[in-house]
Amino acid sequence: MCDHSKNIYLPQLATIAEIVDETADIRTFRLVFQDEAVRESFAFRAGQFAEYSAFGAGEATFCIASAPTRKGYIECCFRAVGRVTEALRSLEIGDTIGVRGPYGNSFPIEEFFGKNLVFVAGGIALPPLRTLIWQCLDWREKFGEITIVYGARTEGDLVYKRELKEWEERDDVRLVKTVDPGGNSPKWDGKVGFVPTILEEAAPVAENTIALVCGPPIMIKFTLPVLEKLGFGDDAIYTTLENRMKCGLGKCGRCNVGNVYVCKDGPVFTAARVKAMPQEF
Amino acid sequence: MQKTITEPNLRLLIDTLVSEGKRVIGPKAAGTMTLYEPLSQGEELNLGELPRRSAKEAFFPLCETILTYERDKEGVRVTDVDPQAIPETVLVAARPCDVAAAPVLDSVFSWDFKDEFFLERRRKTTIIGLACARADDACFCTAVGLSPGDTKGSDLFLAPLTDGGYRCDAITEKGEALLAAHADLFSDAATAEPLPLAEPTLGKLDLEKIRQWLDTHFEDPLWEEIAARCAGCGACAFLCPACHCFDIVDEGGEEKGARRKSWDACGFGKFTNHASGHNPRDVQPSRYRNRIMHKFKYYVDKFDQRLCTGCGRCVRACPVGIDIATVLEEINSK
Repeated sequence: MCDHSKNIYLPQLATIAEIVDETADIRTFRLVFQDEAVRESFAFRAGQFAEYSAFGAGEATFCIASAPTRKGYIECCFRAVGRVTEALRSLEIGDTIGVRGPYGNSFPIEEFFGKNLVFVAGGIALPPLRTLIWQCLDWREKFGEITIVYGARTEGDLVYKRELKEWEERDDVRLVKTVDPGGNSPKWDGKVGFVPTILEEAAPVAENTIALVCGPPIMIKFTLPVLEKLGFGDDAIYTTLENRMKCGLGKCGRCNVGNVYVCKDGPVFTAARVKAMPQEF
Repeated sequence: MQKTITEPNLRLLIDTLVSEGKRVIGPKAAGTMTLYEPLSQGEELNLGELPRRSAKEAFFPLCETILTYERDKEGVRVTDVDPQAIPETVLVAARPCDVAAAPVLDSVFSWDFKDEFFLERRRKTTIIGLACARADDACFCTAVGLSPGDTKGSDLFLAPLTDGGYRCDAITEKGEALLAAHADLFSDAATAEPLPLAEPTLGKLDLEKIRQWLDTHFEDPLWEEIAARCAGCGACAFLCPACHCFDIVDEGGEEKGARRKSWDACGFGKFTNHASGHNPRDVQPSRYRNRIMHKFKYYVDKFDQRLCTGCGRCVRACPVGIDIATVLEEINSK
């Protein structure tokens, strides 16, 4: 507005450097900012999100799915379900998209130092945790045991398959992958069962452990009691709320749950905070 | 500083401001309505009735361009909006209920990230408020702690006198400057008496008590009761001086177009709808509840201000006769 830096709605331009088709309708973009100064200075914390522009269609909100420890690019992962995501999906390597951000709060990673971590994710909800998983793996010595329980409806719906393989091969991470009953092929080498059930079987120790849960509402609904049963307190469980957003800046009035504005007060919340909110999300 | 100005001189002041190249916005006849619109001359000023829409458009237009984009073989170019496009403005003869909303909206547009589209207009606008000598059944500014003579948000404030002129008080430095720059159109203290202020019928409500009730009644039959009638048309939000929900949309094609910020309303069915089809506020009662909660609890919790100035526009316009003042009275009586 008054000068280039003052228009809070103005996105930075980024080039699509890589495209990975995670599933039939979920795609990962690796993005490199076109402005060298932005490329150098863009910093974010795991858990934060951005607004991604397909010029002509609008903006869509996703978390930043790459780790803050990986410099020079950011990644986002989205399912093509609406006007903007369909437009994003039609773009190719070398095309330009807009990025505004980073916005919102983040996982308080410093508070996790010295603790065990249990990541529990379902379907397309792995990206908001993947940013933190890689940061924790890059800072591996700062954490105790790391367990990842990840499931999807079918094998085909699992995202980051190449990274699941990598985590499976590491001896400093325990990956438990699962698909819903009926979602497996004869070659499937993981578990079969719903995420909460498989989590209960995996039985991570609750003492000195932080649980990080991200998934569809139905999965979270059934996962929280399991964690409680395993001995996790509500303050030791973190999740992210994915409300519809437009501005990302605490102004447009769309993402509030009661007087909590997900774009500013979230998207990362403890289970204790989520339980204290009005049930309107 | 206190001066007086005759009505002809007030119109002359508008002529002068227009000739200086300023955008002057004031009540103007628009078909069968009166609206706050740009005036090309003082003669157009229509002081007879409260404008149908609020004055928020002076700072927060119904639709505004926030960037333009072009795409060609070279790639995408995004162009920022030229700040010179926002003109120096004088908002004249704005009612206290409209003017008081401007400082209320400052909070949301200036906290943390600063929305310069709104704030630059605020900086470039001088507001001449006008006291109300008449109120209708829908007016309830006194119920929400304001009054027909409230100077909140005004730089200069006009109070009508019995002789047809106006007493003019400078409230801020901006107001002093405007007075000083056009001193020849004003004269010293009034000889005539001010007209008595309007007296809206609804008495003062206990707004803190209302906030506390809202705090503990997220679930209450009241929301179903009211929203059973609500058509979700959004008229209340569009006419409200303090409602500020907005949408951001691209208009144009792949090759070129503009990204625009435009009014939206939390009463609309798709307002919170996710692309997945999940909708956190999927029924009208939860949307109407959000409207009341936002105005009288959430905004108070966050900014210690209320998103309601008692202008009554939502009451006058509601196609199904929902009266927010009655809702507040009902909560107040619980």
